[in-house]
Amino acid sequence: MSTTQFTGLISALTRQRGVLGCLVVSERDGIIVDADVQAGVDAAAVAALAAALYRRARLCSEAAGLSRVSFLQLESERGHICAAGRDDLVAVVIAETGAPVAQLRTVILQSVDSLV
Amino acid sequence: MRARVSEQWVEAPLQNFADQSRVTFALLLQPSGQVLGQFGFTRAMDVMAACSLAAAINVTAAQLGRELEGSPFREMHHAGRERELFIAEAPTARGPLVLLAAFDGESSLGLVRLYFRELCAALANAASAADPAPSEADRVDLGENLERDLNRSLAILFGRARPDSEGMLSVPPSIPPA
Repeated sequence: MSTTQFTGLISALTRQRGVLGCLVVSERDGIIVDADVQAGVDAAAVAALAAALYRRARLCSEAAGLSRVSFLQLESERGHICAAGRDDLVAVVIAETGAPVAQLRTVILQSVDSLV
Repeated sequence: MRARVSEQWVEAPLQNFADQSRVTFALLLQPSGQVLGQFGFTRAMDVMAACSLAAAINVTAAQLGRELEGSPFREMHHAGRERELFIAEAPTARGPLVLLAAFDGESSLGLVRLYFRELCAALANAASAADPAPSEADRVDLGENLERDLNRSLAILFGRARPDSEGMLSVPPSIPPA
């Protein structure tokens, strides 16, 4: 498997318990830059929709005078989508219900600095 | 905003695509350039020009793909400073259709590709459920009467003609620009 500048970030996140996949996505285009997701996950759809969601959240936060979004978490019936971004790149993590979200949050926020 | 169509079976898929992907303009046309539906355009002349250009770009890109990779390129994307363009072919039982979509910061390439996938599935279903595909003889007829058919489609789209019970129209051979 080829390595990219995001391989370290992605493997650090996919190593976490309950993580089903991790994607680095362009916020503007909603296109996958790099990803490692389990079979059965529609990575392209997740990337497009998560990037759109993150962008809206960022605009909402800025419109409310709250400055940039540091961390976005979407809770669903069967898991979580977590996202954090820097510049035009967003790290998106798909995790199942039992995943330790607090720990995941810490790792994502630490990793996001390498998104350049 | 509502999608305007010249063939009813493309209306729901095109409307859904435009609503979901938040594109500013969308055109669904046959590879010959004959328009089947449009979203966001207000002038017949713009539709006519966009259809001609989209058909030409599609056939050029397909041939370029054949030359370079042995098979036609599946889609084309142009990222402008403020607006972006997406052109791709959707296969249906009634022959391939070409989608041209223009979008700005309200959408993204990822969203357009995602909902284009859904559009392809919806068109495939709608084409199967609609009347039988035109016969080979009809397709030859389309080529011979291309200009008349182009004008007919535009006339329906901009409310200057309505199809009769058999989907045929009675309009002048050319229509004035809007």
